[in-house]
Amino acid sequence: MFSKHVTKDISAYCHGELSSEESKRFAEHIISCVRCRSKFEEIKLGIRLAEQLPTLTAPDSMWQEIESALGRATQASQVVSMRSAHSWRKQAAIAAALLVVFGIGMLWFYKSRTDPRGPRGGPGSWLVTRLNGTPRIGDEHIASRGQLGIGEWLETDAHSRAQIAVGTIGNVDIDENTRVRLVETQPTEHRLELERGRMSARIWAPPRLFFVNTPSAVAEDLGCAYTLSVDDKGDGRLSVTSGWVALQANERESMVPEGASCETKLGTGPGTPYFDDSSLEFQRALKTIDFDKNPATRAEALESMLSQSRARDTLTLWHLLPRVNETERVRVFEKMQTLTPPPSSVTREGVLNLDEKMLDEWRSTLQASWGVGGSKGIPKSATEWKSLKSWSDLKLRDAEKK
Amino acid sequence: MERRAPMAEQLINGQVIEACQQGDRDAFQRLFEAYKDKVFSIAVYSSGGDRAVAEDVTQQVFLKLFTAIRQFRGDSEFTTWLYRLVVNACLDERRRRRRLLPFESTQTTVAMSSVSDKKPQERHYARLEVSEAVRGAINELKPKFRLPILLKYIEGLSYEEIAEVMGCSKGTVASRLNRGHSQLAKRLSHLNNPALWGE
Repeated sequence: MFSKHVTKDISAYCHGELSSEESKRFAEHIISCVRCRSKFEEIKLGIRLAEQLPTLTAPDSMWQEIESALGRATQASQVVSMRSAHSWRKQAAIAAALLVVFGIGMLWFYKSRTDPRGPRGGPGSWLVTRLNGTPRIGDEHIASRGQLGIGEWLETDAHSRAQIAVGTIGNVDIDENTRVRLVETQPTEHRLELERGRMSARIWAPPRLFFVNTPSAVAEDLGCAYTLSVDDKGDGRLSVTSGWVALQANERESMVPEGASCETKLGTGPGTPYFDDSSLEFQRALKTIDFDKNPATRAEALESMLSQSRARDTLTLWHLLPRVNETERVRVFEKMQTLTPPPSSVTREGVLNLDEKMLDEWRSTLQASWGVGGSKGIPKSATEWKSLKSWSDLKLRDAEKK
Repeated sequence: MERRAPMAEQLINGQVIEACQQGDRDAFQRLFEAYKDKVFSIAVYSSGGDRAVAEDVTQQVFLKLFTAIRQFRGDSEFTTWLYRLVVNACLDERRRRRRLLPFESTQTTVAMSSVSDKKPQERHYARLEVSEAVRGAINELKPKFRLPILLKYIEGLSYEEIAEVMGCSKGTVASRLNRGHSQLAKRLSHLNNPALWGE
């Protein structure tokens, strides 16, 4: 059934009504099918809207009206023996209350025995598996498995690690000395907060379903695998091993492809993405450009970085163009020009004035040197680039061309 | 997001239902308190927002429930039985009235372009406006698409439970929810604003 389009299963997928095997197949199909993915976005909006439906409050007077109607209907039979009926009702109510209390007690006792964390968990929680040591959820240690509920913190010490199952869409390994919180889990959004430490995520769901809040930026999954770390100051680092991840904060967004990383800083937001195989001098200089406001230091760092730039590093230089001042932009442009000349339709003035169309055209020629998934078709226009959902979009585009 | 049943609803068990079957008025009241808001909500959304009609429908449902509860044998979940009564009452009411007054159409034209510029409290009110717009759009859906949505989002029922209430297959429920979601998204596409959803 999954070799065909899966549009009819979208709501069931979002509501967790498919089996894990069906969910996996659904995700695999939708990642590589533009038509189904487009429908998926539409249905996701419909679900979000439907979730806004409030439960209304019935008027307080309603019970009195119902009771009087019931009274009229049963008046005849009630005449028979009010006293005995009243006594019976009282006894029944006491018995029912006792049974309810007893039932709840038994349920609590049973759950306490079977779940080391007590009677918690439920539909809004994720399964946590201990990998090493004794991770904690709240104040309680996990023996082998536990449930992370919304709002709860999972914490590992120097000797413990854990793995979180993100519904049916992927999993997240929590390394030592890490503290994470489940912020939200619903069909259209799964969100973790990484306060400190390091986590590795592998997500096989359609893009823009899994988010990680950090003190300095939000990581938005675009169908990928990545490692995200946060230090004690709240600064972070993202390294992508597969697909793409968007880092966002303070109206800045960095699209980070596989093989690349991006630093984030509290108060500033995400820096500029760079390939991991760039030189250390390049990376150090980029950090200064991204986060140091001293003009002299920045100017020196820029010259250092440009001297270290390879054709592949135009990923960084292209992202830098709108982020640097006019003087710096001239230097960046000139270096890029020597590494990969722009097409004839792209002018120096256009680039320096940040003409979106020209920047897009140039990027199209730069991408071949980035080596992200070979020469597969990365988006051609600004609109396409902005709407890039995942590396799978690119793979699909490439497949469609063939 | 899955909705958890309120505490009152969680405490409705076989003992309470049995007490109701014996005519215990206190047990009736507990049952009523546990489900009144959900039943009333479905009735409001099904009656085009007419609260007076919704009150009538809610009263009919509970009166019927209390008079027929002796016939409940526990073959199905109590909630399934209850919501079947609700769905039937709503459909009957709709058939009787034929012509319903829709929600104010202006409610669906929320100007969302400036939402991102608003302060948090203003955003809160914008969300309320969205909620109103959704109610309006829900009202415009055909009953066969609207009722599964109400049972899913107001009652928090699973597909299997909805299927049992509606007397159809799980596949039909999935299909109708899909079409309902799709129609909602199309009617309210102007609300697809990331700022609205806190992105």
